[in-house]
Amino acid sequence: MSLSDPLLQVAFWSAATIASYLVAKHLHRRLMRWWSSPLVLAPAALIGLALALHESYRDYIRETHWLVALLGPATVAFAVPIWEQRGLIRRHWPALAAGVVVGSMTAMASAWGLAELLGLSGSLRLSLLPRSISTPFAMTVSGQIGGVPDLTAVFVALTGVFGAGFGETILRVLPLHSALARGALFGMGAHGAGVARAHGIGREEGSVAGLVMALVGLVNVLAAPLLAQML
Amino acid sequence: MDLRRIIIPGRRSLRSNRPAQIVLLFAFWLLGEALARWTGLPIPGGIIGMSVVLALLASGWLGQGSLRRGANWFIAELLLFFIPAVLAILDHPEFLGILGLKIVAVILGGTVVVMGVTAVVVDLCCRAMGRLEADGHVIE
Repeated sequence: MSLSDPLLQVAFWSAATIASYLVAKHLHRRLMRWWSSPLVLAPAALIGLALALHESYRDYIRETHWLVALLGPATVAFAVPIWEQRGLIRRHWPALAAGVVVGSMTAMASAWGLAELLGLSGSLRLSLLPRSISTPFAMTVSGQIGGVPDLTAVFVALTGVFGAGFGETILRVLPLHSALARGALFGMGAHGAGVARAHGIGREEGSVAGLVMALVGLVNVLAAPLLAQML
Repeated sequence: MDLRRIIIPGRRSLRSNRPAQIVLLFAFWLLGEALARWTGLPIPGGIIGMSVVLALLASGWLGQGSLRRGANWFIAELLLFFIPAVLAILDHPEFLGILGLKIVAVILGGTVVVMGVTAVVVDLCCRAMGRLEADGHVIE
């Protein structure tokens, strides 16, 4: 087998991706800094490796696309937290619905407005709109409204890193009285990374954050065809 | 009757079998994709698969224990599945300059606004509902 063998390339880049993720996850558990997040460390290491080996993104994504495809079954998996939290939904559905709808609209409007202010337009701006949604849903929405799903994945990652980092500072400034509001802040603002942080604050905050993240994804994907017509 | 006898022991072993649950979730996703293509609905297969699972959980055909471990695995390792897409940055060297700073500003500013607005809205709703409930109790 030569080094340019396609199968070997798939094995090499898949292994490199999984290994850098596992190492970053392990380091993050010890260091707990924003820059040690697997969303920062793993891509940084892989970018370094790709540059050193002159690997293009087109080749890399072709070889690791099967990992991205697992986002499909991951979407199905969100049914379980939604079902497990059905008691919470029944008790607090007005507050949850308000948070999910107002939060999603704020996310899209703030991205649109700030992009306008800074002179970003076209597919770049459209790719920024779904950044507060969890990845499998965000990439779907991005494709439907005319954005570039891969770029959206980058923006979703940045949102998770910033949101998980700044969430607690915002908590300190805002006088929030309910665990529901604290959890919604993380689930709406920083999806997966935020849910992990919310679990660190409290059990109820963690479940609310996970539920809000799942609901935000669901609502936005269902609203995407409508949004696509408006844009 | 016979079917029950087969399904129930099957369920018990499924409860502790994470790989089997992962395969099961994968199968529901494929089913969702097939349904999406067949019906021509503009809804992604993953969402249809999720709705099918929710319907099965609600009807009692499927216990949450039969999927929980697999679902927790998928959600816990979510970051791994989109790390490859983050490398799209390789195709955008222009992000290293002013444009990158602008994008960071949009994301940072937007995220702070979203978090603040969402938390305040939910908190106000909770307080309003709490007051309604308290009033309700007084009337009772």
